[in-house]
Amino acid sequence: MSQSKLQALLAVAALALAAPAFGQGSVKAAASVPPLATLGAPSIPKDNPQTPEKIELGKKLFWDARLSGNGSMPCVSCHLPNLGWGDAGAQSRGYPGTKHWRNSQTVLNSAYYNKLFWEGSVTSLEAQAPAAAEGPVAGNGDSSVMEMRLRFVPEYVESFRKVFGSEWPRINDAWRAIAAYQRTVITDAKQVPFDRWLAGDKKALNASQQRGMALFNGKAACLQCHNGALASDQKFHNLGVPEPAAFKDDALLQITHRWQQYQKGLPEDKYRDAHIDRGLYYVTKNPKDIGKFRTPSLRELKVTAPYMHNGVFTTLPEVIDFYNAGGGKVEGKSSLLKPLGLAAQEKADLVAFLQALSMDKPLIHDDPKIPGDYQPLPTK
Amino acid sequence: MRTNFLPADTRRRILWAASACLASVALYVAGAATANPSTPALLPLPESKPPAPAMVALGKQLFFDNRLAGDWGSSCASCHSPAKGFSDGKPLSAAYTSMEYFRNSPTLINMRHRARFMWDGRLDGSDPGTAVRDMVTEAHFMNADGRIVQERLKQIPEYVKLWEDAFGKGSDPYGPRMFNALGAFMQTLESRNVPFDRFAKGEATAISEQAKLGMQVFNGKGGCVQCHNGPIASDGKLHRLGVPEHPDLLANPLRTITMLRHYSTSGMPNYMAARTDVGSYAITKVQADVGKFQTPSLRELKYTAPYMHNGVFGTLDEVVDFYDRGGGKGSQLKPLGLASDEKKALVAFLLTLSGDELKVPEPSIPDLQVRGNFGKN
Repeated sequence: MSQSKLQALLAVAALALAAPAFGQGSVKAAASVPPLATLGAPSIPKDNPQTPEKIELGKKLFWDARLSGNGSMPCVSCHLPNLGWGDAGAQSRGYPGTKHWRNSQTVLNSAYYNKLFWEGSVTSLEAQAPAAAEGPVAGNGDSSVMEMRLRFVPEYVESFRKVFGSEWPRINDAWRAIAAYQRTVITDAKQVPFDRWLAGDKKALNASQQRGMALFNGKAACLQCHNGALASDQKFHNLGVPEPAAFKDDALLQITHRWQQYQKGLPEDKYRDAHIDRGLYYVTKNPKDIGKFRTPSLRELKVTAPYMHNGVFTTLPEVIDFYNAGGGKVEGKSSLLKPLGLAAQEKADLVAFLQALSMDKPLIHDDPKIPGDYQPLPTK
Repeated sequence: MRTNFLPADTRRRILWAASACLASVALYVAGAATANPSTPALLPLPESKPPAPAMVALGKQLFFDNRLAGDWGSSCASCHSPAKGFSDGKPLSAAYTSMEYFRNSPTLINMRHRARFMWDGRLDGSDPGTAVRDMVTEAHFMNADGRIVQERLKQIPEYVKLWEDAFGKGSDPYGPRMFNALGAFMQTLESRNVPFDRFAKGEATAISEQAKLGMQVFNGKGGCVQCHNGPIASDGKLHRLGVPEHPDLLANPLRTITMLRHYSTSGMPNYMAARTDVGSYAITKVQADVGKFQTPSLRELKYTAPYMHNGVFGTLDEVVDFYDRGGGKGSQLKPLGLASDEKKALVAFLLTLSGDELKVPEPSIPDLQVRGNFGKN
């Protein structure tokens, strides 16, 4: 049985088992989507099996600034463990001389997505890593330069040889190692109140959180999109999230905004009137996809503010207010969004529940010891 | 025939230069006693049609603007500084932030007369815009995405104005034109008031008696003119001199990194095994081209030390000694047997090929501005 079929079957089974436990809050919407559930182990691609040595190598590479254009922008510069594995900015800081235009997503649980980036432009962590390291407003690295740098660090040469069996480090193996490491940056269910509650600890959620859960599954209808173990349907929706005001008063953001329209292959008229982030449309060029972004996980929200694809909301109450109003005011907005009519206490309950989807203590990894200076090549 | 490697227009220019040389040899080269009459001679710099002034004005701004680099860490002027003869004064050039390059930064002066660009001759001298694009976008030089740079320029009202002056009202900053504007500015960098040129045009006292002796050596016993001929004292071809490697090439891994990476992206076989700079071979993959480099111009040597593709010689005396020995390992040269006064005279002559220092004051660089018409680009 394929991994995906197995997952689908498990989801159905989980639905059957878990739905009654949600009690009165589970309205009809829940019948067609999987309920929230506890994350299992992430699936591991057959062509990139996990090994301790590979994970350790990947961790070093995640921290190593040699994997960027000017030696200042390793993965960790926008995905800091102590900032929820994001960078805490509304829009990510971006490569020196640029600003990024979207929020730096948490690496936590990225292992579970079947597509990455806000517009879902890649379908594996192995493909995500180079796209970020080479992206001109992210790492701005050149793959052949980064590869050659690794070949001049004896410790890497040795590690790559052991892990991948190659004479010299190959850049695609670096991305494989980073992906393997990222598959260890995952939620520990034992530390998540909601998961403990699902496992039978009825004290794991307080009364407010339990009311919030009922709202989540019912009146607030969050579950329509935030479902399954990841609390994401991994689909694309247009919510009408407001555009950040910064695009109107920050020259660097304006540069990136136009550049994105240009380099993502839009026709000239779309470039000329670029005033929004068109999201999934950049991938599909289907007008129906304008403004759609991939549903993010709701796990670990406690440490991953600000929120939304452009970080426009700083707090969870702001996010709830946005949904309570039925989302934004744009053409093509998802029909799933309707004004919710939540009372103040209900909103507070919902926030309390959302926070119960985060670990008690944030997952932090200590900095690894980065291999030392470049060394001359052995002469023949 | 090597010239088949060159584009047709370049071949035509070389033929033209060669035939022009024949005419001029008789004019002034009294010292060419042993020179083969079919060998092209050194020529004065011809008058050039100036590039469009509006392109030059724009290109001059861009030349000094570090926003053409990915991380704003360098501009064209960083490695081609007016204060250093439009070179960088280092044996091996600097590179993009955190990197070091593996060859010498050549002067841009008289670049409009060059047959090829780059020490391995990989770019066509008639197309400066492409060379500029390579420098701006190449990972070890300025590592910029050209499309980001063009969007940066649109946030600088002063540049938008210069752009419209150069390319017409309503025209948008756009990569290829941006590179061509830079090329136009660089084409204005030409030798001025050069003693040799004045001498060649009939001003007998423009160079010293010692330099005149040196010119005889240059054209005769020294054999320099075999390769250093035409208006910029370069045949535009590739030669193997056996120039010793600069020790820093292997001692400083940052330099070996850019070298091997250049080889890998050029598709050179077995590039990880290279421990010397193979020169043109990385481009042609022809074994006979190992260690061959472009003949550089001998103009403006006064301002452009150190010398050779790797800057391994700090002075012209060292360079002349090197040739006198018949070059280095694997050289196509022969020992010259020059006397001490002949060497001194040769250096004196070489310096007559340098003109007045080209001073280009750095313009003020305007800031990025917010565009008020967001969404109406």
